[in-house]
Amino acid sequence: MFTFETAHRSGLSAAVARLVTAWALLGGVVLLAVVAINVVSVVGAVFWKPFPGDFELTEIGVAVAVFAFLPYCQLTDANVTADIFTARAPKPVLAVLRAVAALIAFGFATILVWRMYLGMLDQREYDYTTAILQVPIWWGFVPILISLALLIAAAAVTCLEALRETRA
Amino acid sequence: MSDPITLGILALVVLVVLIAIRIPIAYGMILVGGIGIAWLNGPALLLSQLKTLAYGQFSIYDLSVVPMFVLMGELATVAGLSQALFRGANAWLGWMRGGTAMAAIAGCAGFGAVCGSSLATASTMGKVALPELKRYNYSGALATGSLAAGGVLGILIPPSVVLIVYAVIVEANIVTMFAAAMLPGILAVILFIVTIAIYVAVRPEAGPPGGASDRAEFVSATLGLLPVMVIFGLVLGGIYAGFFNPTPAAAVGVFLVWLYGLLKGKLDLRTSAAALKATARTSGMIYLILLGAELMKIFMSRIGLPQQAAAWIADSGMAPMMVMVLILVALILLGCLMDSLSMILLVIPFFWPMLLEINGGLYQETEGAGYGMSTEDLKVWFGILALIVVELGLITPPVGMNVFIISALAKDTPMIETFKGVAPFFCAELLRVALLLAFPALTLWLPRLLGG
Amino acid sequence: QEHVFKLHHFLGAKAPAQTDMLEPWAKAVEENSGGKVKIEIYPSMTLGGRPPELINQVRDGVVDLVWTVNGYTPGLFPRTEVFELPFVFKNDPAAANLAMFDMYDEYLADEYKGVEPMFLHVHAGQAFQTVDKEIHTPADVAGMKLRIPTRTGAWAIEALDASPVSMPVPDLPQALSKKVVDGALIPWEIIPALKIQDQTKYQIEGYDKVRFGTTTFQVSMNKARWDSLPEDIQKAFRDASGRDWVAEVGKVWRDIDERGIKVATDAGNTHVTLTEEETAAFAEALEPVVDRWIEDVTAKGVDGAAMVEMARKLIDENSSAMSN
Ligand code: NA
Ligand code: NA
Repeated sequence: MFTFETAHRSGLSAAVARLVTAWALLGGVVLLAVVAINVVSVVGAVFWKPFPGDFELTEIGVAVAVFAFLPYCQLTDANVTADIFTARAPKPVLAVLRAVAALIAFGFATILVWRMYLGMLDQREYDYTTAILQVPIWWGFVPILISLALLIAAAAVTCLEALRETRA
Repeated sequence: MSDPITLGILALVVLVVLIAIRIPIAYGMILVGGIGIAWLNGPALLLSQLKTLAYGQFSIYDLSVVPMFVLMGELATVAGLSQALFRGANAWLGWMRGGTAMAAIAGCAGFGAVCGSSLATASTMGKVALPELKRYNYSGALATGSLAAGGVLGILIPPSVVLIVYAVIVEANIVTMFAAAMLPGILAVILFIVTIAIYVAVRPEAGPPGGASDRAEFVSATLGLLPVMVIFGLVLGGIYAGFFNPTPAAAVGVFLVWLYGLLKGKLDLRTSAAALKATARTSGMIYLILLGAELMKIFMSRIGLPQQAAAWIADSGMAPMMVMVLILVALILLGCLMDSLSMILLVIPFFWPMLLEINGGLYQETEGAGYGMSTEDLKVWFGILALIVVELGLITPPVGMNVFIISALAKDTPMIETFKGVAPFFCAELLRVALLLAFPALTLWLPRLLGG
Repeated sequence: QEHVFKLHHFLGAKAPAQTDMLEPWAKAVEENSGGKVKIEIYPSMTLGGRPPELINQVRDGVVDLVWTVNGYTPGLFPRTEVFELPFVFKNDPAAANLAMFDMYDEYLADEYKGVEPMFLHVHAGQAFQTVDKEIHTPADVAGMKLRIPTRTGAWAIEALDASPVSMPVPDLPQALSKKVVDGALIPWEIIPALKIQDQTKYQIEGYDKVRFGTTTFQVSMNKARWDSLPEDIQKAFRDASGRDWVAEVGKVWRDIDERGIKVATDAGNTHVTLTEEETAAFAEALEPVVDRWIEDVTAKGVDGAAMVEMARKLIDENSSAMSN
């Protein structure tokens, strides 16, 4: 299941790749759970009555899932770029640019994990909950912070790999 | 830095430079937007906003359909839906001159009905149809050109990720937007098929007729179309019949496609994981762009650039139609550089306020409106036009993602041939834009009929 | 100008909430200050984020002022919520605004941490707007699917044995037209913006404009910003936000609401006013909502019963004071 992500990687970076991939799959499972909740709610509405919490669980679930996808996007270079101006650039130059991009991702994830940690404390202190099921919002922030920590790791791995390529 | 307009334009230039040096568009927007806000109002303000901004954006209910429709498309890909579609379409059309290419277009349209992305449609139908087109000795240009163009149908036929994002930005109803996209989507299919007919009339050797299929094959291939029709019917039909809103509809769609794959024996742990990973890549990429665009929007609003641009356009006395055409041309040109989603997210916050101002404001009714239609209608009409022109970027040089994807699949056809093959379809698209511009009813009739 | 404030909110620039309430208030503050204050209004979340983030934005100083719905962040303003309860709020937005004003220091101030409220207010109240069902008794409501306005609104719907459904406001017209929901518990004020009149046949309210709960709103300033202001500037804000003003805001929302129902009746919709007896039946059926609320907030350390009593008393006093 991890052969694509761990190919050309070894040691610590292979371990990070495996972890990031597994985490993305876990995010996928959360997305499937959201799908299931909605299907159940639809069937429930037709035969009995709608499940009132579907709306807020969808909001939290999708947010948690998508954050879990971000490290995997970084690891597999999924973020869209415009390649037109650099189509003919030599490989080392491209590697440098990739390293710069990874560095931006690294910095962004670091700032975001710090800020969203404080955000989580706010949500907890002020007792933010969802409207119907009264689920505390800060619960959703916990997996999200793990996702951001993994994004930091994935950005570090891709940055180091790109730097290695500049010398190759 | 006293002049905010200069600052704003400078920021846009920096963004273009970052994009040009291959920084991911999302991170380019995050960087420029973030630094811009910090520059204007101090870093403390930006840092405070970052405590909740990302969660807020990622938990927008209306956007929850996006990862679900992406997952539905990915499941459809691994479940082999594209084979069934192409085979069914080919049984009906394959015997004609150019018929196999027409079947590829029809197959793309069918796949577009369960998939929200153009690239996924191009690549999955390309894998299925290219070998067949080659088998019947189609010219490289026609074969790859029709597939690259056909891929665009993935986004023009609802469901459509770009359309959902547009609806969220301008606060339009997603269901109305989907209904509005339907007739223009069918128009595209017709125009593409006519384009192929004209192409092979001029160059008969480019698309030889395939053999007529025997009765048994015809029946079995046609029956193979049923699942797609049922799924599409239940998902979109269910929305219009009133069973559910788009999010539950997408969930039901995911469930049905998954069931289809399971029954076909195509879904196991490995292929499901592949579908989930592909969903992770696409959805993560989309949401990151969304976050970047939100930061850019905040920065630009704090400068006041969109408001000033809107006021300036409204005061310029330019004819409303002229403004619309200029905006569409600008989108086509930008499409040479950027992907459609980034474009929609980056420029609609500029262009929509302009059109709003020209039309007479948010609550403008048909009477006395700049575009002769209520603002609600304008939202829908402009959305469909914008959708079409941003998607054109996928088949125009120098960066045409659909062309790249098909070229990668068709190794023996040089990319220049594919661009040549796509040119007639590009003209068909321009004709379609002209038709939709001239006759807004083509877009607005169905949503009105369905009572949106 | 020496003091510039950014006021952020979630509705459009042409929404009556901005044109009829926020703009006049901002103008009054500016005039009181002798031109030293300038309030820039940013509608439609133009400064970023989603509506539920508004309260964080003002607390963290991302913006200086917000107008927001308390119910966007359920759990954050449990005390003020008492004014949303059906048959605590009955039919008089001005009286409710004045009661909130009077109760603020002693009963409500605790929950406004990090912000300095300028004024609190309600809208004219939730009413039934249904696709094709005329309602006269609580039994008529049983089994219907209704869009919820707030957390307490959901409880009201449950108390009537109907199903509460959550969805974004822009999705409501489509949901009504396809009968994904049978109706909604919302004020008349929303009718023109969403063209609710096209999707519904009936607008139903109680006797003497009695409604089934309401929604509370706040206009608040960042606390640190407030504390840093010189006294004369603070006074400019306070003078523009006193008892006269909140009574006026009640009238503004009543007017907006009247315009809304007129749009519906002009379009041929039926405006149903329940009789006094029918209204009393709803009061009885909805009383458990008040009990449920008391239980809920008591668990959070708020004396709910005392709050309900006080709110009812002050609303009555202010109501009769004005009708005199
Ligand atoms: Na589609
Ligand atoms: Na292009």
